[in-house]
Amino acid sequence: MKKTEQKKFNCDDIEKRVQAYLDDQLSQEEFVLFEDHLSYCLPCDKKIEFEQKLKVFIKLKAAEKECPKSLEQELKKIVRSSNSQRKT
Amino acid sequence: MPTARQLEFESLIEPHLSSLYSTALRMTHNQNDAEDLVQDTLFKAFRAFDQYQKNTNFRAWAFRILVNTYITAYRKAIRQPQKVSYDDLEEFYLYKKLDESISLQETAKEDFLENFFEDDVKDALENLPYQFRLVVLLCDVEGFSYNEIANIIDAPLGTVMSRLYRGRKLLQRYLWSYAKKRGYVLDEKN
Repeated sequence: MKKTEQKKFNCDDIEKRVQAYLDDQLSQEEFVLFEDHLSYCLPCDKKIEFEQKLKVFIKLKAAEKECPKSLEQELKKIVRSSNSQRKT
Repeated sequence: MPTARQLEFESLIEPHLSSLYSTALRMTHNQNDAEDLVQDTLFKAFRAFDQYQKNTNFRAWAFRILVNTYITAYRKAIRQPQKVSYDDLEEFYLYKKLDESISLQETAKEDFLENFFEDDVKDALENLPYQFRLVVLLCDVEGFSYNEIANIIDAPLGTVMSRLYRGRKLLQRYLWSYAKKRGYVLDEKN
């Protein structure tokens, strides 16, 4: 993207880049154009806000908070066994 | 007495046990298989620990071993990625559906997310075709960057992005169908 002087993103540009934006993967130039669009386009702004919430929500709900005690013991066993031969 | 090397491995991998287990659980669908998968991963990682280069990304290294172990163990089940085209999936699916069906103010859309049980979200994730599921888990749940994921699953960056984007779009569709099934939303305008 060379001529940036009067370039503006439209709603389709936003839709095409929404996921890269959510993951902070846009170039500096695209990031500025993206946020500029959000500053005056309420429908896009609302959609992006929802997508951001959804991303946080999925992380919160989908991660296991702890792992089984047996795995911690297994780790110790694997690491401490002198020959590191696997027990069957 | 354990050697310094053994203790080093243990201290490096211990903080990641629960996220390795979490990913294993979403990939295998059940606790026993997930435990087996993580055990195998720990065993292989410890054996390969000499190949790990100090001060490089240990977490990504460990996940790479987890993914390889998973693919080897489940090769038969996952051999053929579905040949369905997901190109036509649109963005903002969930948001648009909520817009159509509730036609309420914005706060209703946030309340909608609050209604979901953890198990619904986990189920929705577990139903994604495995190649999409893996990338969505690595990015959205475990917080890996695109580059780290490319390294973990041994695929080009473009593949990571297309799987991630399609996976998320599919996930929104699954969440919507759960919401309807559970009665969190009325199907259409009431």
